[in-house]
Amino acid sequence: MNMQDVLQLTSPSLFIADLAAKDKEGVLAEMVDTLVAGSPADDRDTLLQMFLNREQLGSTAVGPGVAFPHGRSLAAQDLIILLARSRKGIAFDSVDDGPTHLFFMLVAPPQDTGNRYIRALAVLTEKLQDGALRDAALAAEDYEGFCKVLNEEDA
Amino acid sequence: MNAQVKLLVALQDMDQMIRDAEDEAKAKQLRDMGFSLPGIDELKQARDKLVDQIVPRHRNYYGRLAQKYGHAVVPVINNFCTGCFANIPSSFTSSINEDKVLNCESCGRILYWP
Repeated sequence: MNMQDVLQLTSPSLFIADLAAKDKEGVLAEMVDTLVAGSPADDRDTLLQMFLNREQLGSTAVGPGVAFPHGRSLAAQDLIILLARSRKGIAFDSVDDGPTHLFFMLVAPPQDTGNRYIRALAVLTEKLQDGALRDAALAAEDYEGFCKVLNEEDA
Repeated sequence: MNAQVKLLVALQDMDQMIRDAEDEAKAKQLRDMGFSLPGIDELKQARDKLVDQIVPRHRNYYGRLAQKYGHAVVPVINNFCTGCFANIPSSFTSSINEDKVLNCESCGRILYWP
């Protein structure tokens, strides 16, 4: 799996250019609301509960300024990825204690054969190590620009 | 959706998460990406609290099914039980059944309409 494959799993309706929420729970709720609106998954409460539980297991804000909320849920029929940004930054219990600006939410069905979501996570976490790329993703004008930044080396 | 089914779905998602966190190969993959999983005990405590909200007969049935099949609750997609692929009669989704915990007539798994 490469970045192009990962970006096939998202869409313009699964992109939040600038999150309105101001705290961790609010961000997860806003992202789940957008995911439900933009994908076939529509059990909001089940999805939100799964992501809250995942954060209880350990923060998913593992990159400098980047978080990857992820998990498997019965509410998902296929692997879905939502992209979101917060220009002002959110306190998301990041491992470096800094604000989180970029969010990549992944949800997979329980029978995620071949652990596609783990492979997608690996692609994203590796790519987002690059500070210049993170800055460019935050500055990108829209969904297409955001994807172009992520896809640059793979193009 | 029936409130008990909602709890059973949440329980199964949580059990999946705990299994994944305790799977050494998966946990290593996540650790290599920078994720740590220090909250497993808290998650298990949250699971216990969730289980307390489920009525004993559903809780026990869930346990038996999970032991037998791995997944006790399965989504119904296109009128098929995704556990055994038996056809689920459309009468199951009638309003009379709206507030019931329904099982597949073929395999017995608890049905969930996502």
